[in-house]
Parts: sequence; C-alpha cells; structure tokens
Amino acid sequence: MATPVLEARDVRKAFFGNPVLKGVSIALEPGRVHALLGENGAGKSTLINILSGALAPDSGGVLVDGVALPLTPVVARRHGIAVVQQELSLTTHLSIAENIGLGAFPRRFGLVDYGALARSARALCERVGLDEDIARPVGDLSLGRRQLVEIAKALYRNPRVLILDEPTSSLSAHETRTLIGLVTALKRQGTAILYISHRLAEVMEICDYVTVLKDGSRTADRSLDGVDAAALVRLMVGRDPGDLFPTWRPTAEQQPAIAVRGFAAGRVRGVDLDLRAGEVLGIGGLVGQGQEDLLLGLYGAIPAAATTAQFGGRDGLPGSVTAANSCGLAYIPADRKREGVHLVHAIGSNMLLPGLARGAGWAWRYPAPESTQIRALAARFGIKGDLGRAAQALSGGNQQKVALAKWMPLDPKILLLNDPTRGVDIETKRDIYTMLRGFAAEGRAVMLASSDTPELVHLCDRVAVMRDGRVVAVLAGPEISEERIVALAMAADDVRSAA
Amino acid sequence: MTAPSSTLKTSRLSGLLGNRALLTLGIVIAVWIVASLTSRGFGTWGHLRYLIELAAVIGVVAAGQTLVMIGGGIDLSVGAVITVTAVGVPLLSIPGDATGLGAIAAILGITTAIGIVNGAGIAYLRVHPMIMTLAMATFLQGALILLAGGSAVSVDNAVIDMLGNARPCGIPASVLFWIAVALVTVLMLRRTRFGARVYALGANPLASALSGVNVPMTTLALYGFSGLMAGLAGLLALGMNGQGYVGIGDPYVLMSIAAVVLGGTSILGGLGGYAGTVPGAVLLVTISGLITVVNASAGWRSVLFGVLILGLLLLSGREAARR
Repeated sequence: MATPVLEARDVRKAFFGNPVLKGVSIALEPGRVHALLGENGAGKSTLINILSGALAPDSGGVLVDGVALPLTPVVARRHGIAVVQQELSLTTHLSIAENIGLGAFPRRFGLVDYGALARSARALCERVGLDEDIARPVGDLSLGRRQLVEIAKALYRNPRVLILDEPTSSLSAHETRTLIGLVTALKRQGTAILYISHRLAEVMEICDYVTVLKDGSRTADRSLDGVDAAALVRLMVGRDPGDLFPTWRPTAEQQPAIAVRGFAAGRVRGVDLDLRAGEVLGIGGLVGQGQEDLLLGLYGAIPAAATTAQFGGRDGLPGSVTAANSCGLAYIPADRKREGVHLVHAIGSNMLLPGLARGAGWAWRYPAPESTQIRALAARFGIKGDLGRAAQALSGGNQQKVALAKWMPLDPKILLLNDPTRGVDIETKRDIYTMLRGFAAEGRAVMLASSDTPELVHLCDRVAVMRDGRVVAVLAGPEISEERIVALAMAADDVRSAA
Repeated sequence: MTAPSSTLKTSRLSGLLGNRALLTLGIVIAVWIVASLTSRGFGTWGHLRYLIELAAVIGVVAAGQTLVMIGGGIDLSVGAVITVTAVGVPLLSIPGDATGLGAIAAILGITTAIGIVNGAGIAYLRVHPMIMTLAMATFLQGALILLAGGSAVSVDNAVIDMLGNARPCGIPASVLFWIAVALVTVLMLRRTRFGARVYALGANPLASALSGVNVPMTTLALYGFSGLMAGLAGLLALGMNGQGYVGIGDPYVLMSIAAVVLGGTSILGGLGGYAGTVPGAVLLVTISGLITVVNASAGWRSVLFGVLILGLLLLSGREAARR
C-alpha cells in the first residue's frame, strides 16, 4: 500500500462546546478516488477544512507524506493540496484567466506575463471542458460554468491532492460527464482525490474507496468493491432518537389549510401540496433543493405562481407577507440573526413587532397591555431575564424562541418553519418539538422544513421530500423512515433501477 | 447598541435612547456656563433666545432627518427642499390668496411630494438613499435656477412673517413651533405603530419584512415626513430672513445630520430618538455662535467648526461596535 499523501489521524473538533468531529481518521492515497459521504451536519465540511488547513483540529494530527504538520492554507497550497469549495471563491469582476491564475500569476521582468497566463488558462479550460473566452468576467458565467473555472483554478497549481466538495451539484449532465472523465484522468496520473457528493450514482461510478461520517464519527472506511447504494445509505443514517421527541397522536383533519397545485416560486416548480389542519407536514431533502423557496413563496415573501391555490378557504395565493399574515400564516426563518430577530432591539420589542406591523400607522400604542403581553409570552416560552435586554444577549436557542413567540399574539392558524432547530441546543430542541406537536393538537397546520432527518421521522404526520425544486414523494405514516427519506433525497432509487 | 451595556440592563423597553440625549444636554449646559463666564454678552437672555431661534430651524429639519436615519436611511435633499420652500413661497403667492395660507399649503404639499418621490425611488427602484436624495437635491437646485433665476426674492406673507418674527409672551414663535414639532415627533416615534415600524426597519429590514412590516409604505412615509419637515423649516428660515435665495438651505444638510448623530441616533439605523436631536441642534448653533466671536477669518472659522463637530462626535456620537 502506498504512503498516504494526506492523512488525518483521530481528529476532533468542537464549535462552542458542540463536538462536530469525534475522532475521525482518513487517508488519501495517490491514484485513488476517495468518496466522503454523510448527511448534512455529519462533519464533512469540517473535515475538509481541517484537511485544507482552513481549520486547526482541537486534537489529533494532519500528516502530509507521513510527516505531521501544523497545516495552514498557505502550507497546504505549498504541498500541493487544492480544494474546490462548494461556496465558490471566485472574484466576479476578474476574467476567467485572471481567476485561474490568481495568487500565482506568471511573471516576467516583475510584471504579470499575461501571454503565459492566457496560454495556461486556455489549456486548463480545455481540460475541464469550458468553452468560453478566457477574457470574460466570471460574473457573466452561469453557476455551473463558474464551478468549472473553480476546478481549473485548482488544477493550475498541479495539485497532488484535489478535494472536490460537491463539484457536480450545479453542472449539467454533459459537464458532469466531462468532469468525471477529468477525475479519471487525474487518478491515472497519480493525483489523490477526495470526492464529496450527494449523488450516489456518481460515487458508485468513479470512486474506489469510501469513508462515511455520521454525527461526527466514522461509520465506514472501506473499499467500494461490492458495496451497493442501499448499503451506503444505511451507513449514513440511523441514530438513536433517544427521548428527544414527544409522543403524539395524529390529530390531522381532512380539511386542508393550504392546498396548492402547480405551485412555482424561485427554483420550486410544479409542486402539488396539501397542508392539513392539525398536522405537522415535514419538508425534507438535501440542503438547497427549494425548501426555503417553497416556504417563502407560500408566505408571499418572494414572487410565486400556482394554477390553483387555497389558503384557509380563500382562493388564490396571498402574494404579500401582509396578506399572508391576515390569512393566518406565520413564518419562522432559518437564519434567525439575519431574518428572525432584531438583534439590537429589546427582547420585548421583538415580540411585539408582528402585532405592531399591521393596522394603521398612526394607531396608538398602549405600553401597559404591551408589557403584560410580553411578560405572558416570555413565561409561556421560558424566556428568562430582563426583557429590556437587546436580543443579541440571548443564546441561539432563546433567540429562536423569541422568533417563534412573537407570532403567538396573532394566533396564526398556519405555521411555516424553516429549519427551526438548526444550531439550537438539545433542551430548546425538545421544547420546540413539544410546542410544534402542541400547535397541531390545537388544530393549527404546521409545515416544517428541516435538514435534520430524525426530526422529520419522529415529529411529522407526513413528509414531502424535495429534490431539485420538485416534491419527489410524499411519505405518510409507516412509510416514513430515515432510509426512505435519504434515498429519495439522493435519488438512490434511480441508482438501483439503473443498475 | 448605542448605550453601554450597564444602562441597557436598566433601560425600559421604550427607553432605548439611553443616555446619549442626556449626555448631549449636559455638554450644551456645560458649554453655555463656560461661555457665559468667559465671553461677555453670551449669557444674556437676548443672545440665548437668538441661539434657540436659530436652532429651531435645524431642529425642525432634523426631526425628519432623525426619522429617516432611525429607519436606516439618510436624506441629503433637505437643503434643496428648504431652498425650494424659501424661493417657492414668493413665487406661489398670488393676489387672490389674501391670507397667504394657500401658498403655504401648496409649498408643503410640494415638499412632501418631493420626499415621497425620494421614498419611491428608494423603496421601489432600490436606489441607495444617498444617491437618490443627492440626485434629487441636484435636480431641485437646477430647477430652481431655471425658475427663479439667481436673484433673491422677498416675501410678503403674514403667516410666515409671524413665524419668523412674532414673540408671544417673549418667546419666539419659531421656538413654540419647534416645541410642537418635537412633541409630535417624539410621540410618533415612541407611541405609534408607525414609530415601531421605523425602528424595526432601520435595525433589520429583512426581518422586518418577514414580520409583516410593509417596508415600501413605511419608506414612503419616512421620506414624505422628512420632505414635510424640510418644508416647515424652509418657512421658518424664510420668515427669519425675509427673503429667499438659491443656496439658503445648503448649510442644513450637514447641520441636520450632525444634530441627529450628536443626539445619539445610530447612523446605522434602528436606535436613537428625537429627544437627543434637540440638544444636538442647540449644541451646533452654540458652537457656530462661539466661533463667530472668535476673531478669525471666515476660512479659519469654517475649519474650526469642522474640527469641533468631529471632536464632539468622538465624545458622544461614536458608533459602538455591533455584532
């Protein structure tokens, strides 16, 4: 067995006391395509950041050619480690060629040698299958094309280790084929490749070896020979839900609170969906498959269209947040610091805002009933301390409670929640779960988009799984399982039927 | 947050303005005491009354500016709007309008409309407030030169003359008018739903929109109010001067912004209040008054004024770091 070019041994990493990696080892060998799999939040990104020197592990070591090194991005680059990140790192105003050479321009007499840069850029574009004028600014290119520039940029430095984080997520089928050809060619040249993808078909096709992460631990590290897609999915899911979730009885009524047909908003297309009163409807899928656009579109915050739509017995889409609020809708956003709370304002003011946002502007405010209302809400949601403090003084979990509590005075009939438990401590998670089932029991309709699959399994009456802007399946009752949801989200069924 | 954390704990829900207003008031009182002791004639009733009269114009413009800045914007067109008012009233005065109230109503309607156009550009066309209001100011200045020529125009309007010069019970009418504007502004910010929306909009426009705040309408109302206030300030300035000329409003752009920031309103929006702007306006005229008595050329006086404003801002108006 060859010496690994890049290796992480027993690395641990925690953020704010939350362990993200709990002693993970991985070894990248030359001439091997190594797949790294895991659900959202399993620790893949953290591991990539440690391997590329962007993060230092709390304990454990990173070895380059068998030698332990304190790795920084500069050191990593010097040792030939290149990363193609999921969040693109290109400078949009610069040309394709300039982006490819950025930081290592060829020089002649102390000036940039644009001729040499153009020659190597042109050669690289050909290799990655990018047929664009290299003088074009990157900002003009589509997301998929930018991805190719990003890969060309990584190849410019002739890397010995190439880390590809979901390289095909925005590529067309044709571009994907070119990329797969490129990866195979690099492998033959002896490059070590770490390949992260949610597309199992690709992984089965080009990868030789696989490491699977689950909740920050390694659950598999083996050759891909004789492994099928279903087995990979099983390795990624299936943790003990513990007593995190409340027990609940189905209270769904037949009557839909929301019924849309042919719904489209943002990247969401052709969605037919019913949300019933008294149920929790989960929206599952990989991150960024249109879940947020679906919720925002229903809420009237982004432009949306539908062939037919009914909201609480009224025909038509609300079309604006104000109209949605008066239909009884409330929206709890995922990014609470940016979208959910007013950080510099008092906790109490935050909780009053939805109430004050409606009605005539000149309408008078009454401080006494307002403060009674605030105190009642804080008591109900367990928000302790002085309510005159700025909301930024609260923990993430308590901010989330404020983001939820502020809607209660409006008595919403339909709650749309976007990943409400992301980055929230266990205690608050349990509180939120209990509240959500409580809302359903009161006859309200709850739509819960979540990147946390156990949440969907243990809390929801039904789960709609989204992929690429569409609802690919709606699971109900006993059909709901982590395996089913993950398999649908990753199109593992297609793999099986294709095989 | 503009208030130190120790005061945040004790501040009431509606009392987010913290100590900035009091701090600015304290500086004003200190400056007045020191100036009265060292400069002959400064502490006389007549002189102090004159300072407050001058501050009234700034204070009224700054009422609109305070709202706009709490709402996360800025209005650089107030100077041009004041000029529009001062030049426009004489032009609009027609023989059939004996009381002169018709011309006043017309000009206030125009200035409010100018503000609403500013708001529409910002809310619907998504032009940055600085660009929108600066472009508006440039447009208005050009239009005024075309309409009025370069010469000063005198006004013969009883109401405006009264606003500028009457002194019921020894108190200038402009100051009484300022007190009324101040009461309305404070109540609007603290005790109406509109006020709550303005604070929310300035602190986080996205979260406000998702909470159901009608962001475009609130923006229109904000800039419309600022246009109205600049119009009212223009009436005061016209009354005091007796004539309007192109350029009469120019000093009030920086003055109104400085008064707002000296009063502790965050230039980032979302925090502050009019209670601080009032002493901020008084502080500004006091300082420029003190500089006038310094025996120096106009150039040096201007340099000194700029340095002093910067120094005062470092003392009281600096932005605290935000997370």
